[in-house]
Amino acid sequence: MGPLSRLNHYFWTYKWLFIPGLLCTMASAGFQISVPSVVRQTIDSIPRFVQVYGVFEGTIVHAQIYSYLFGTLLLFAGAIIGLSVISGLFMFLMRQTVVVASRHIEYDLRNSLYDHLQTLSPRFYQEYSTGDVITRATDDIEKVRRYIGPAIMYVTRSLVMVLTAVSVMFIISPKLTLYALIPMPLLAVSVFFMARMVHWRSDRLQEQYSKVTSRVQEALAGIRVLKAYTREDAESEAFDSESEEYKRRNLDLALVESAWRPAFLLMVGISTIIVVWMGGRLVAQGTITIGNIVEYVLYVSMMTWPVASLGFVITMIQRASASVSRLHRILDTTPDIADGPQTDESITEVEGRVTFRNVSFSYDEEQEPALRDISFDLLPDQTLAIVGRTGAGKSTLVEMIPRLLEPSEGRVEVDGRDVRSIPLETLRENIGYVSQDVFLFSDTVANNIAFGKLDAEDREIVEAAGEADLLANVKDFPNGFDTFVGERGITLSGGQKQRTSIARALIRDPRILIFDDALSAVDTATERNILKSLRERQGSHTLVIVSHRLSAVQEADLILVMDQGQIAERGTHEELMAENGVYADLYEKQLLEEEIEAYG
Amino acid sequence: MASSSPSHSSDTDERSGTDTTDVDVREIESTSDADEHDPYADEKPKDDGFKFDGRLIRRIADYLKPYTGWVALALTITLGASLLGPIRPLLVQRAIDNYIVVGDLEGLQTIILLLVLALTGEGILKFAENYLTQYIGQNAIYDLRTAVFRHIQNQPLQFFDRTPVGKLITRTTSDVEALSNVLSSGLVVVIGDLLRIVFIAALMFYMNWVLALVTLCVMPLMVWITFWFRKRVRVQYREARNQVSRLNSFIQEHVTGMSIVQLFNREDEEMRRFEAINDEHRGAWIQTIFYYAIFWPSIQIISNLAIAGVLWFGGLRAIAGSALTLGVLFAFIQYARMFFEPIRDLSNQFDTLQSAMAGAERIFNLLDDDRSLQDPDDPVELGNIQGAIEFENVWFAYEEHDGEPDWVLRDVSFRVEPGETLALVGATGAGKSTIMNILLRFYEVQRGRITIDGVDIRELSLRDLRRHIGLIPQDVFLFSGSVERNLTLNDPEVTDEMMRKAAAVVQADDFIEKLPNGYQQDVKERGASLSHGQRQLLAFVRALIYDPEVMVLDEATSSVDTETEELIQEALERLTEGRTTLAIAHRLSTVQDADKILVLHKGQVRERGTHHELLAMDGLYRKLHDLQYAADTQVHGDGEATRDIPAAPATPEESRA
Repeated sequence: MGPLSRLNHYFWTYKWLFIPGLLCTMASAGFQISVPSVVRQTIDSIPRFVQVYGVFEGTIVHAQIYSYLFGTLLLFAGAIIGLSVISGLFMFLMRQTVVVASRHIEYDLRNSLYDHLQTLSPRFYQEYSTGDVITRATDDIEKVRRYIGPAIMYVTRSLVMVLTAVSVMFIISPKLTLYALIPMPLLAVSVFFMARMVHWRSDRLQEQYSKVTSRVQEALAGIRVLKAYTREDAESEAFDSESEEYKRRNLDLALVESAWRPAFLLMVGISTIIVVWMGGRLVAQGTITIGNIVEYVLYVSMMTWPVASLGFVITMIQRASASVSRLHRILDTTPDIADGPQTDESITEVEGRVTFRNVSFSYDEEQEPALRDISFDLLPDQTLAIVGRTGAGKSTLVEMIPRLLEPSEGRVEVDGRDVRSIPLETLRENIGYVSQDVFLFSDTVANNIAFGKLDAEDREIVEAAGEADLLANVKDFPNGFDTFVGERGITLSGGQKQRTSIARALIRDPRILIFDDALSAVDTATERNILKSLRERQGSHTLVIVSHRLSAVQEADLILVMDQGQIAERGTHEELMAENGVYADLYEKQLLEEEIEAYG
Repeated sequence: MASSSPSHSSDTDERSGTDTTDVDVREIESTSDADEHDPYADEKPKDDGFKFDGRLIRRIADYLKPYTGWVALALTITLGASLLGPIRPLLVQRAIDNYIVVGDLEGLQTIILLLVLALTGEGILKFAENYLTQYIGQNAIYDLRTAVFRHIQNQPLQFFDRTPVGKLITRTTSDVEALSNVLSSGLVVVIGDLLRIVFIAALMFYMNWVLALVTLCVMPLMVWITFWFRKRVRVQYREARNQVSRLNSFIQEHVTGMSIVQLFNREDEEMRRFEAINDEHRGAWIQTIFYYAIFWPSIQIISNLAIAGVLWFGGLRAIAGSALTLGVLFAFIQYARMFFEPIRDLSNQFDTLQSAMAGAERIFNLLDDDRSLQDPDDPVELGNIQGAIEFENVWFAYEEHDGEPDWVLRDVSFRVEPGETLALVGATGAGKSTIMNILLRFYEVQRGRITIDGVDIRELSLRDLRRHIGLIPQDVFLFSGSVERNLTLNDPEVTDEMMRKAAAVVQADDFIEKLPNGYQQDVKERGASLSHGQRQLLAFVRALIYDPEVMVLDEATSSVDTETEELIQEALERLTEGRTTLAIAHRLSTVQDADKILVLHKGQVRERGTHHELLAMDGLYRKLHDLQYAADTQVHGDGEATRDIPAAPATPEESRA
């Protein structure tokens, strides 16, 4: 139960649902359990009534007796209905409190999980896959909820039912009670094992289901290879055997599940038979009445489910406990990038100077450093360009400015202050960042642009889109700025996505603008337009641009050529051309490329 | 993330409670409802009313045909089980009236024995029925699933260009799953439940028709509330599932784009939005709880209503002198409680049938749209070929635009003699990859023809054609699994020897054997990821295994480390030796060594000749040559986004660009 105790404060929060809920649970069970005794009384009275009525046959009071008996029977029937209505009412309230409370707690739990997720840095997201996080936010929370709501409800109900029923039964006949209860422990134990088996087998089934799914996914992704080698048949056969295995596991599970209801049926049936058999003998001895037999049969069938549910509840609690541990592995992760004692809250503005002092970085201690000894100083409103091949460390470098990563050694400064001393919010507020892998939300174009600035006015959105050279495209979209992008809307081309994300950064009017290879998917003409509008803003922001096209970087105040985490060359375009090194060479090639594009 | 839960749970959850009127197992154990968030889910069923499409049901039923015998057996068993169940209260009635009341303990023992037999019999038959129906269903599902997969795989590449993979995955997985309940228990359970209801009613009438009528009076109420509940809960579950998938996509999206959220200081705003979605999610479920909270107590009240009715009426009748025994009263109390189960089962079946229809419709639409290339009726057989390839005035377009084909190749003609190497050179989008695509007949040319050794490729079977051509794409696609699996692609005809021999030719055996598990190494396992160069070598081996006469290769653009570079260079030479080779060349050496070079520009052959001839021409080739090969080994750009070439344009937009 260890990890589950961490949930206790939630029970406290919702005590005004739980306390009445549990009372209702008890009341409902109590009223329900009293129905059989009314049934017994009715049944036992009927022969007496017949007798009494027979005695008064032909007398004057005959009609009165009839109406009296009629009324008494009606009273019995009314009591049965009344009791079940009251019990039902409490049952209704029980569900409306305890189960509803579990949904509230689920809601709170999920909110705090998401809230915490937002504080965690990219390092965390490298460790946990998206799927893993989603599983925790859905599956695990759901398992915890079942413990909180249904499990607690069933336990309470079962205990009340079993205790009351057994005491009443005991009063009537201890002997018959013992006989009738023989199958009960067997039932609880077998349900427990069956539930475990069902869980285990459905996990295995689920596993295979994922396998089948990924098999399909992979075959379709690699369909060209399969077709080139005409391996479709072999792939189909492989798929057949995965499906076969899936079928097999399905049947494994079916075997347990098929046994489940018959087993249940047998247990209840056996109890009933024992009651009739042993009860019959007791009736013959005159110890109990036939009404008692009926009463017992009703008790037994009422108790069966609660007893069986205990078996379920135990596995539910076990699973919930594992889920709580998994959830807390995330909740207990302290954010590694956050404001702290070193933060200087008085800093509210950013000028835009960016300085790296001997910055080195490695993702992982065993790995080669991704950056080695990087130093430069970029004054406000200047432009820095970074070029170099994939894996040279360009993105790593720029990610340090908004503190997505922190240097392993050295210092990153903004306005001459260690970035760690600037409140995270202030720092990021002043940075417009366009990342290499464009990420847009499934929302409208307008909202995606306005993501950069809460409460942006329409005018600002249009302006930003204009600067990102996106206006002409937006006009072609079915609903203009209100067009949905992503799965449920239109699919944007790579270039359109990039430009949307540029607009998203520009709308913030940031002091520092970072383009991490943000123009790779647009053609040269568009690139020219965007750079032009950026230049028109020149003087209003510091620009850091990572690019492959040298046309984009020529006018930078400083160009860094990166190679294997180090700065290979540095200088302005003219200086680097004069140096006649890597940069100059790359430049020549790109000129040619443009020529070919223009050819013919 | 758990994808949509397999079929079994919702069905079995429904079945797991016995005659308990107060608890829903569904809520305890219903993983399927909460977890049904399929990332690939599409086309949500919109039906609210029940569409009973006989044609569709017949098609579904066709999948049961191979199992007719089993179905018949299952029906027989169901018949037995449905009969044995209602008999037990009758036996108890006999026990009470004939033996207990009169104190005949001997006779009681006999009837107890009968009761035990009936009970055990019913248990066994029920078990057999449950398992058998699952057995039939799972087998039919297996047939359907593999048929769908085969069908998809046989479609031409055009189909895959058009259809998102996610959609196809949904067809083969969740849509098929949706049918499994109908196929497994559908028919049998419906018949079994109807039989049970009939038997119970018949026995009640046999015992006492007045009480039977009284009991049956409450039945319409029970049917009504059950179906009302089903309907409400179905709508509500759909709503809840929508909320679940909204919640999931929100989390999915925000976890993926978390750094964007953080960079743009959107934490508070996104938290607010998350809370809103989470709130709606909670609301949808709380509404569901409401229906359950109404349903279970109602069922309990209704069955107690029946009991009260039986006692009251029975009591009055007894007083009035009718021969009503206590045993009969007892039996009726039992029957009143027995009715509920089959009614609930029926309403469930109704439900599953409905959700299955939507899936079935999508599946059959897919199966009906078959565009797979049919092999010619009487294909020409190629034995050992020479490997002469000829393109004759080939025109090709991937798609039409406003009724006009978007020509990607225009009037392309060339001939490669056996053993020759032809290098294809041109800028991106010039049509190089397309030439490979149509040579392998991934796509059909619109005009002109392509021949191998003089035979039109359309007269060959696809298998024959492709087995004579080895394809080496630029980006190597590796399947998960072992190196061996990736080399042989599960072809049982490929012997170990063939594989090792091919590996030796391109000297890939060295590095493969050095892998921790050699040929059995899992290629996607963490820490054992293969380098670019090694992947290339694997692709070489894959192509070489069949010892094809023609080699089609698209050289990788990205530079690999120098060691592997040399290895690959050497491997390439061995690979092309003595084979007709078509290469999209990115290495100077490959182009220089080619017997012929074809310079493509915008789908047309611009220049052709040998390296020296073309250089002398001082045309497009010269420019391309200077661009690509002059400054080899210098800092490269990141390279364009590479596809698993040869590939069709990924999106129409790109191809037009």
